[in-house]
Amino acid sequence: MHAKSTRREFLWQSAVATGGLLLPAQLSWAAPSETKMVITKWTGPSPQSPTEFAKIATQLTEQAVATLGGMSRFVKRGDVVWIKPNIGWDRTPELGANTNPDVVATLVRLCLDAGAKVVKVGDNPCDLPQKAYASSGIADAARKAGAQVVFLDRDRFREMDIKGERVKTIPVYPEIVESDVVINVPIAKHHVLATATLCMKNYMGVIENRRVFHQDIPTCLADITRFMRPSLCLLDCTRVMLAHGPKGGNIEDVAVRLTLAAGTDIVALDAFGAEMLGRKPSDIGSIVKGHQVGLGTMDYRSLQPKEITLS
Amino acid sequence: MKRRLPFRRWIRRVVQIVFLLAFVGLILATRPVPGETPSWWLKAYFLADPLILVMTVLAAHAVPLLALFSLVTVLLTFILGRVFCGWICPLGTVHALTGWALDKVQKPAKRRDTFSPWQKAKYYILGGALVMALVGGHWITIFDPLVLLYRTVTTSLLPAAQWGIETGANAVYQADPRIGGFKLTSVTEPAYQYLRNHVFVLPKQAFLGTGVILAFFIAIVAANAYRRRFWCRYVCPLGALLGLLAKRPLLRRKVASESCNECGLCTTACHGASASGLGTGWKPSECFVCLNCSTTCSRDACEFTFQPVIWRKEPAVQPVGLTRRGVLWAAAGGLVSFAFLRATPQGRGSVYHPRLIRPPGSRPEPDFLARCTACGMCMKVCPTGGLQPAITEAGLEGLFTPHLVPIIGYCDYTCTACGHVCPTEAIRPLTEDEKHQIKIGLAAFDVTRCIPYVYGRNCVVCEEHCPIPEKAIYCVETEVELRDGKKRRIKLPKVDPEKCIGCGVCEYVCPLDDAPGIRVITTNETRHDRHQALLPEVEGEEELPY
Repeated sequence: MHAKSTRREFLWQSAVATGGLLLPAQLSWAAPSETKMVITKWTGPSPQSPTEFAKIATQLTEQAVATLGGMSRFVKRGDVVWIKPNIGWDRTPELGANTNPDVVATLVRLCLDAGAKVVKVGDNPCDLPQKAYASSGIADAARKAGAQVVFLDRDRFREMDIKGERVKTIPVYPEIVESDVVINVPIAKHHVLATATLCMKNYMGVIENRRVFHQDIPTCLADITRFMRPSLCLLDCTRVMLAHGPKGGNIEDVAVRLTLAAGTDIVALDAFGAEMLGRKPSDIGSIVKGHQVGLGTMDYRSLQPKEITLS
Repeated sequence: MKRRLPFRRWIRRVVQIVFLLAFVGLILATRPVPGETPSWWLKAYFLADPLILVMTVLAAHAVPLLALFSLVTVLLTFILGRVFCGWICPLGTVHALTGWALDKVQKPAKRRDTFSPWQKAKYYILGGALVMALVGGHWITIFDPLVLLYRTVTTSLLPAAQWGIETGANAVYQADPRIGGFKLTSVTEPAYQYLRNHVFVLPKQAFLGTGVILAFFIAIVAANAYRRRFWCRYVCPLGALLGLLAKRPLLRRKVASESCNECGLCTTACHGASASGLGTGWKPSECFVCLNCSTTCSRDACEFTFQPVIWRKEPAVQPVGLTRRGVLWAAAGGLVSFAFLRATPQGRGSVYHPRLIRPPGSRPEPDFLARCTACGMCMKVCPTGGLQPAITEAGLEGLFTPHLVPIIGYCDYTCTACGHVCPTEAIRPLTEDEKHQIKIGLAAFDVTRCIPYVYGRNCVVCEEHCPIPEKAIYCVETEVELRDGKKRRIKLPKVDPEKCIGCGVCEYVCPLDDAPGIRVITTNETRHDRHQALLPEVEGEEELPY
C-alpha cells in the first residue's frame, strides 16, 4: 500500500513487528498457528433415535475440541473446571431450551482426560433448579461422565466489582469465577428481547439480580462477558429454537441442525449462531456491542474457521 | 401377689415417641420430587382420622375412599377406648411431653386430677360442629389435633429450623474456620448439602401468618401448666368424637374396692382426669388408656381387663353426663356460628377476592371450604413455596386455607403435587394435561408500574418466563417518546386472556419486587362459572361486529 516508508513509520512498524513476534512466545493463546474457531457439522443420515442423536452430538463435540488443539490447550493438569451449560428451563432436550446433555457430558469427559482435578457443572436456572437440572438431562449425563453437579446457593453469591459500562457491581457466584477454567457451552435459541441467546447471554447464569439486564441487554452482556474473560466457548446448534424463545415448549419451534461451533472468540461464535437462527449478526445488539468494545469480531469468517463435516 | 410391670409406662412413652417421630418424618417426606407423584401414604395420619371423615361426609356429602381407613381407628376405639389419644396422637404426645417436663418444675404432689364438668365442653364443641357440618361447614377440622400439629410444624417450626440451619451453614462457609488441620466446613457442608437436597423443599422457605399459627400452638401447649393435657381434656373435637365411641369399650378399668384405700395416687397420675372420685367413677370416654393408674397403684387395686361384649355391665363405667339441654344449646350455637361465618359478601358468593388464588384443581369455593381442613400438606409440597395460608383473604371460615401468593412463589407449570397430597380432595388430583386446561386466575399489567409502560424501556422478563408454549404474554412493538423528544421503539407486553392460566410466574419474576408491574387476579378462574369476565375470542374475527 505504502510506496515508501518514512523513517518514523519504519521504526514504528519494526517495533510492532518485533512485539508481534515476541508476544506469542509469552502468551500461548495468541499463537498464530492455533485455531480460533471450528465448526463441526453432521451431514450423514439424520438420527432416528435419541441414542443416535447422542452419538452424533458426542462426535461433533469431540471433533470440535480436537480441531482446536485438544482439551489440554485449555485445561491443565490439576485444574478446577466449571462447565457452564444453559440449564435455564424445565424442558426436555428435544425442545431445545437447554444445552444438549451429551455435549456437556462429552466436555466433562474430555476435561477429566486432560487431567482436570474436578469438573463442576452448574447454572442458575430460571425455572426450579431441581426440575430444570433433571428434565434437561444434564444432571444425569454430567454425573455419569464424572462431573460434580452443583446447585448454586442463593446465599453464596457475592457482590463483585465488575466495572462495566452499565453494570458496576453484581452478585456473581464465587465458585464459578474462582475455577481455573470456565467453559461456556450454551445452546443457540431465539430470544424475545435479545433476538437470540447465544454465548454471551449464557453468562447471565453466573449472576443474580439479572432481571434488570433486560433494560439494556447489549451493554449488560458486554459488561459481564468482559468480566468473565471467556476462554473456550462451544455453541450447541444440534437443535436450535427458532421461535417462542428462550423457554419454548413447542417441538415445531425447534429445528435440528446437527452443528456445533467452538472457539475462543465469543463474538465470532455468536455471529455464527445468529446465522444459524436465520439472522444477520448485525441484527443482534450484543454482537454489535461486543464487536465495538473489542470482545471479538462479528465477522467470524475473517477468523477462517475450520469447517469439518462428519458423516 | 402379681408384680406390676414398672416399665409399662415406658412402653407407652416409646410408642408415643415413635408415632410422633413418624408424624414429623412424614411431614419431612412430603416434598416434591421431579417426575414423581407424591405417594398416598404421606397423608396416612389424616386418613386414620375419623373426625375428618365424619365432617367431610356431612359437609360435602362425599366419602373420600382412602379416608375409610379411619374406620380402623373407630374399631380400635370400640375395643380399647381412647388409645388413639393416649398412645398415637402426636399432638397428645406433645402435650404429654410438656406435662412431663412441667412436672419437673411444678409441684405435682397436691394435684388431684379428678373429672371436671368443664371437660364436657369438648363434646358440646363437637356437637355444634356436627350441626355446622350438616349445613355445609367443615370449619372445626382446622382444630383437628393432627391438622393443627401438621400446620404448625410445616408453616412455623420447620421454617424456623431451616432458617437456623441455612444461616449457620452459610456463616461457617463464609468464615471457613480451621482448628489445626481440621476445617469445620468438612463437616457442616456435607450435612447442609444433604439437608438442602433431600429435606428442604426450597431454599429460604417461609410462610405468611405464622405468628398467628404459632401463637395458637404456644397457647395450647402453655395451657398444660394450668391443667395437664388441657387441650385433650377440654377442647379437642377429635378426642370428643373418640370419647363418644369409647362409652363402653371392651377394655375396662376395674378397681378392687377391698384393696383400695383411696390414697389418690391414681388420680395424681391420670392423664385424662377420667375418674370422678378417688378410685371411683371411671369414665372411659375421658380415659386415654395411659395405664398410669394401674402402674402407680401401690396396692395393685387397679387393673385393666377385657370384657368380651360391650353390653356387659361389669366393670361399671360412668357416663360423662351430657345433658339434652346442653346438646341443644350446642346445636343452636353451631348453626348460629355458621350463619355468621357465611353471612359475608364472599360467603354469599356475591364477590370474589381478587387475590384468593386457589391451587389448580380446587373445587368451587363453598365445596372447597366444605372439604379443606387447612392442614397445610399442599403448602408443604409446593415446590416454589407459593402456596400460603390465607389469613384474611378467605374470611374466618377459610382461615389458614391455601392460596397462591405469586410474589412468594408461582404455580409450576408441570407440577400437580398439591392435588395428590390433599387428604380430602378439596384440591382434586390432576394429571399434567388436565392441569394445563385449568385457569387459576388471570394476569393483568399494572400500566402505572410496568417498566416498559411507565419508563419507556424494554423489560419483558414476564414474557420470557411465561410457561405456555404459545405464550400468554406477547409483545407489541411500540414507539415511545422520551424526555428529550427522541423516539424509541420498545416492546410492550400484553396478556392474552385465552391463554393465560394464572400461574403467576410473571408476577414472581417481575423486577419490581415490591409492587409488581403484573399481577394475577382470580378473574377467569375455571372453578367458578360465574367468575368469567371475558367472552371468548371468536376465531378469525379481527373486528368486533359493532
